[in-house]
Amino acid sequence: MKKSVFIIVLILSGCFNTEIWGQKVNVFPKKTDPLHKKVDMFDRLMLGNHWNEGAIMQRVIFPPAGLNRPIIGPQADCLDPTSELLAAYSHKYAITKDEKDREIANQIFEAILKLEKVTGVSGLVARSFNQTDKPLWHEETFWYHEWHQSSSMPGYRWLGDLSADKFTSIFYGVGTFWELCADENYKTQAAGLLDRFIGRVVDDNFKLTDLDGKMTLWGNFCPDLPHQELNSLEMLAALKVTHHITGKERYNAAYHMLIDRYNYDDHQINSKILFPEEWRNVGDDYHAARSLYMIMRYEKDPSLLLKYKMNLNRHWYDWKDMEFDFESSIWFIMVYQVLTDENIMTEERQLAIKNMWGFERKTKEYNVPQKDGTFKKIKSEEEGTAAAMIRNYWFGRYYGLIDAKW
Amino acid sequence: MRKLIINILCFFSYVIVFGQTTPEPPEGMVYVPAGNFIMGSENGDPDEKPKQIATTEAYFIDKYEVSNTEFAKFDPTFKFSEEKKNNAAIVTWSQANAYATWAGKRLPTEKEWEKAARGTDGRIFPWGDTYDNTYVVWDQKSTRGTSIAKPESIYGCFDMAGGVWEWTSDWYQPYPGNTTPMEQYGEKYKVMRGGSNFNNHSFIRSSHRYYLLPEKISAYPVGIRCVKDVD
Repeated sequence: MKKSVFIIVLILSGCFNTEIWGQKVNVFPKKTDPLHKKVDMFDRLMLGNHWNEGAIMQRVIFPPAGLNRPIIGPQADCLDPTSELLAAYSHKYAITKDEKDREIANQIFEAILKLEKVTGVSGLVARSFNQTDKPLWHEETFWYHEWHQSSSMPGYRWLGDLSADKFTSIFYGVGTFWELCADENYKTQAAGLLDRFIGRVVDDNFKLTDLDGKMTLWGNFCPDLPHQELNSLEMLAALKVTHHITGKERYNAAYHMLIDRYNYDDHQINSKILFPEEWRNVGDDYHAARSLYMIMRYEKDPSLLLKYKMNLNRHWYDWKDMEFDFESSIWFIMVYQVLTDENIMTEERQLAIKNMWGFERKTKEYNVPQKDGTFKKIKSEEEGTAAAMIRNYWFGRYYGLIDAKW
Repeated sequence: MRKLIINILCFFSYVIVFGQTTPEPPEGMVYVPAGNFIMGSENGDPDEKPKQIATTEAYFIDKYEVSNTEFAKFDPTFKFSEEKKNNAAIVTWSQANAYATWAGKRLPTEKEWEKAARGTDGRIFPWGDTYDNTYVVWDQKSTRGTSIAKPESIYGCFDMAGGVWEWTSDWYQPYPGNTTPMEQYGEKYKVMRGGSNFNNHSFIRSSHRYYLLPEKISAYPVGIRCVKDVD
């Protein structure tokens, strides 16, 4: 009798967990499916398997190496898919006007608010979080290692050392949400978040500082310190977006101070390293593309626009011949067309858009540390992100570059 | 006769002066003379303040970071791939300290490291105040001293900006006069310097300080550059 009750409880607890967390969605599209069907199915996979209280996991490792909750997987770049899906649903809502789409965008935005709240410091945003009291095995396995127990949200741990590329994810994602999707209440919240987040960087002399007060590993936009040309572009774009959204003069003043006194407008032109060719970095191009997309639509000064166009042209020199082996490289083409109004959509590029793909589920072996200090090899399924592909799709639909029938 | 005496005196003066001030460095090392230099920065992190005049005795310092091959002479169990035999070794603080002792040298203090990197004039980088990617070893596929521009510090050291981080002997402590509280100050973290390839430009500034648990390097490539006292 006791044994049968135990078994029933065990089965029910299994069902309960599955119902609560919804892992896993297991239905994949076929490569031959039309684009809209592929996007829809990858969207279900992302919302079902990668949803971490509204934040989106870049890669998820399933049980047994992973856990249903907290989610296991590398988390350093979670703000990228989070902002991509936020932008995707913002563009989607702008087309469908469906409140269900808006609600998903709202929940993703609230997760970014939670990324700030979990740090306990106004304007300091975490790379990612996990609901757990104890360190998880992947914290020491995957880059970065700057995990903290939250003092402001008991039962959560968060990953620090935010970088310039995640800084870009925030103003790009939140800016797009504000522009296309947020109602008045959420517009106010979005403006408040950017005011605190970008305001803190401005107050720290254009440095992203961490909990310890030191500049993060990749958080340097400071006019008094040497930094990458790309970072000058990102800082100008962040200030432009934040001024546009908050209406606060301090961001306009900071923007023009960096231009007038420190020549950031000239410095940013060379964001793209063109030579030697092996130094070309498609990952950096993504941050430049997001920054240029935001700043070039908001800037009205013709002389500044010419300089941003120079930057875009230097990127285009490489993008025009690029192979579409990176999920965002096709997005560069779309961004270029949106910003320049040049029709550069060749048949080959259209085909690349139609062939967009998310990810394959793979099985990998993980070296999982055990409590006694040893390691155990555990095989588990894992999957990457399709957020960029979904964003690309709704971005293209919004700008009329993708046909709904594709 | 008088001319000959003057010439002899000049010769001995030359030998005495240069014999004392520029002793012959051991193989693979360069000489750093005693004296003052500008240490710290007002524009960097709070722990780099205050910018100050600091002093060192004379010392020798390795021209390059210690390579995998060199480290393996000390520890034959140290594993590395053949194509990385001339790359900088990546080790814990204990390994670095043990290697330095074995080599008859020691790890530099923060003062010694910073002076060897930036000279006396307070420059930002070993070569001056501007930056270009060609000045540093771009990635860890490359070996030591193989940046395109191959800049040397004023004393002749390579890769004190970029390459791998470098251990110092010092605990992470505030500079005298620094009033910014840091809970990390104390005898828990060792200071590493010089930045690695995987950093923004500011981290390879010669005054930049970073703290790390001595035995936990999985997130950072940290290597060794030794110093030796001048007898």
